[in-house]
Amino acid sequence: MASIIAESTTQTPRAPRPQRPNYAKLHAKPLPLETYPLPAFLPQNPLSILRIAYALISSYISNSSSHPAPHTHRAYYSAATRSVHVTDDISVRALWESGFFGKGSLSRSEPEWLEREKKRLGLVRDKAGETSAEITRKRREERREGKRERARLEREELEAQLRKEGKLTATESPLVTEQEHQIAASAGDAASDATFDGRSATIIDPLAAKEAEYAILQNQEHLQLIPYEAFFLSYALGILDVYDPASGQRLGSRDLLKLFRHTSVFPPLPANRAPPVDDPFILNYVVYHHFRSLGWVVRPGVKFSVDLLLYNRGPVFSHAEFAVLVVPDYSSGLWRSDERLQKIATTKKKEEWWWLHAANRVQGQVKKTLVLAYVEVPPPEEAHAASEDIGALLKRYRVKEVIIRRWTANRNR
Amino acid sequence: MAHSSRDTVLPIPIFLSGGKHFIFSVAHASFLRAEYRIAGVLTGTLPQSPQQNVFLGLPLQLMAEEARLLVRRGVCFVVDDAAAHREGLRRLCGPDGEEERLQWLATLREMGLDAARARDAVSKSRMERALGKMETGRREQALRSLAARQQAETRQATPSEADSEDTLFPAYEQATPSPPSAPKPMSVSDDPNPLGVTPTTSHPPLPLPFPDDTATLPPAPPSYPLFAYLHSHPGSNYFSSPGLRFGCQYLVYPGDPLRFHSHFLAVGYDWDEEFDLLSLIGGGRLGTGVKKGFLIGGTEPGKAEEFAGHGDGEEGVRCFCIEWGGM
Repeated sequence: MASIIAESTTQTPRAPRPQRPNYAKLHAKPLPLETYPLPAFLPQNPLSILRIAYALISSYISNSSSHPAPHTHRAYYSAATRSVHVTDDISVRALWESGFFGKGSLSRSEPEWLEREKKRLGLVRDKAGETSAEITRKRREERREGKRERARLEREELEAQLRKEGKLTATESPLVTEQEHQIAASAGDAASDATFDGRSATIIDPLAAKEAEYAILQNQEHLQLIPYEAFFLSYALGILDVYDPASGQRLGSRDLLKLFRHTSVFPPLPANRAPPVDDPFILNYVVYHHFRSLGWVVRPGVKFSVDLLLYNRGPVFSHAEFAVLVVPDYSSGLWRSDERLQKIATTKKKEEWWWLHAANRVQGQVKKTLVLAYVEVPPPEEAHAASEDIGALLKRYRVKEVIIRRWTANRNR
Repeated sequence: MAHSSRDTVLPIPIFLSGGKHFIFSVAHASFLRAEYRIAGVLTGTLPQSPQQNVFLGLPLQLMAEEARLLVRRGVCFVVDDAAAHREGLRRLCGPDGEEERLQWLATLREMGLDAARARDAVSKSRMERALGKMETGRREQALRSLAARQQAETRQATPSEADSEDTLFPAYEQATPSPPSAPKPMSVSDDPNPLGVTPTTSHPPLPLPFPDDTATLPPAPPSYPLFAYLHSHPGSNYFSSPGLRFGCQYLVYPGDPLRFHSHFLAVGYDWDEEFDLLSLIGGGRLGTGVKKGFLIGGTEPGKAEEFAGHGDGEEGVRCFCIEWGGM
C-alpha cells in the first residue's frame, strides 16, 4: 500500500497551486459598515461617562475626519427584473466583499466579468489567480470526460459479456464504435471552439489591441440585489439609497417596502390594494433579517431548491452548511381565536409529504442540513394596524427554526 | 405463473379498511401483478417481529389510484371490510345462519382434531427416535462393559472402575429393566382432545362478498389522470408505485419493479395549477442525481373534452420530463 502511494506521488508531480487571494483580509468586515469603539468607561472615574457622551454627541452632529460618515451606496430599482441594480464599481466591490450581498449579472455569483474578459483577451499577463467561474468550467469538463470514459468502459464490459454469451461475433462491435463516433464528434466540436477562440485572439492581438481595450472593456456588469437584500441594506443598515429610475426619486423605506411587497406576487398588486399578510417578500425578509442578525451570511438558494442558504463566513470560505425553507405558519393563537380566521388559515395551500421528502433528499445529495424556518404570520387586522411603522410590523412576525434530518435506524448506529 | 388467469374468479374483492385498500390473497396479488401491472405494496409483518420493515408479506396495500383503476376496468370491486364483517357475523349468529354456524363449528372441531393428531404424530416419532438411539447406545455400552470385564479379569483391575462404567446410565437401567427387542408401539387413541383453533381468515366462516353494482368508483387524488395515463395509455404501460421514498407521487417502472429500476419520478399537476419554481428545480436535481427523469404531467383542457366519456381521465394527458443540466 505504501509503495503504491509513493509510486503515484512520484509519477504525477503536482503543479504548484496558484496563490489564492487573502480572503480573510479581503472579507474581514462581516457587513459593509464602519464601526468605531467608544472611549472606555472607567467605574472609578465617573467623569469618563462625559467622554462617552461627548463622542456620541459629536459624531451625531458632525463626523470627524478620522471617523467619516458611512458611505451610502446608490442603486436603482429595475421593474423588469424585479431586482435592485448597483452599477458603481466601488459600491459593487464593497457590497460583495463585506457581507456577500448580491450577484454579478454576468457571473455565477461574484461580479468578476471584467477580470474574466481581461484574461480572455490576454490583457492580463499573470496566470496566477483563476476566477471561480473558470475553475468551475474546468471541473465540469473533467467530470464530463470522466463520465464519457466510464460509459465507454461499461459498454466494453457489456460487449465482452455479449461475446461470451455468443450473442455477438468476435469481429463486430456496434456499441464501442458508436461511442467512438460520439467521441470523435465531440472532439470536432472542441476543435471548432478552439479555432473560434484563436480567431478572436488574432483579431484582438495586432494593432487594434489598444482600441479594442477601450472599446470593449467598459465594465458591462452590475450587481443585482434581490429585493430582501436591498431592503435589508436600506432599512436595517441604512447604507443603500434606492432610486426609482423613472422619476429619479429616492425611495424611502416605507415606499420601498410597499413596492417590494406589491411586486412579490404575480401579477403585481395595484397600488391601492393592501398586500396580503403572507406575501413572499415579507416572509423571506423576516427570515433573512433573522439570520443576518444572528451573524450568518445569507444568500438565495434557488439552485438547491430552497429559499435561503446559510454560510458560516461566506461562500469563498466554505460551502453553505444549512439550507432554509421558509414555511408560513398560521397556527398562532390569534388565528384560532376567530372562526373566520380559522377558515382563512385552513384554505392556505399545504404541501404534501412527498414534497418534504424531495426537499430533504436534494439537501442530502449536496450534504447540507435542511432547516424549516416557520414564520408565524399575524392575522390581517393586526398586521394592517401596524403597517405604518415598519419596526412594529416586523415585530408581529416570529421565526422558529426546525432542523430536519433523515434518520434510519439501521444506518445511524 | 402459478396462478394463471384461469384460476382466478373475477371480479376480485378489494377490502377497504381504515380508508386503505387491501388484498389478502396471494393468488389475487400475483394475478394483479402479472396481468394488470399492479404491484401494490406489501404491508404485513410477522407478529413475532412487529418492527421489521423489509421483507414484508400480505396483505397487499393498493393506492387509491390503483383501486380506482381496477374497479373501473371491472377487475375488482371494493368491499367495506368493517360493514361486511358486521353484516356477515349478524347473519351467522341469527336464526338464518344456524345451520351454517353449526357446520362451521364442526369444521373448527375437525381442524382442532387434525392439529391434535398432527401433534401426537410428531411427539410419537420423536419418542421413537429417542428410543432407537438409546437402544444403540445401550448395546454399545454393554459391549464395552463386557470388554472391560474381560480386561479386569485378565489384569486384576480394581472393581470400582468397572462399576462406574456399568452405571453410566443408571436411570435408563431403572426405567427399562428388561431390554425391549423392538420399540413398543405408542398407543394413539383415535380421538384425542381437539386443540382450540383460532381461525386466521374471515372467509370462511363469513361468505365471500359479492360485487355490488351500485357501488361508486373509489375516490382518487387529483393526480389520477397521470397515473392512469402512465399505466394504460397505449405505448406507455408502466408499473407505478408510491414515490414517497424518492420525494414524488409515483415511481414509474418500465416493467416489473422486481426486474427494473424506475425510470421516472412522476408528479401530477392540474393543467393550470400554479406551483413553486423551487419544486421544479428540486425535482429536476433529485431525478438527475439518482439517474431518473423528473416527470410532470396533467390533462390538457381541450383534449380532455375531446375524449370525454371514453377513458377514465387518462386521455389528453401530456407529460414533460425535466433534467437538471448543471451537474
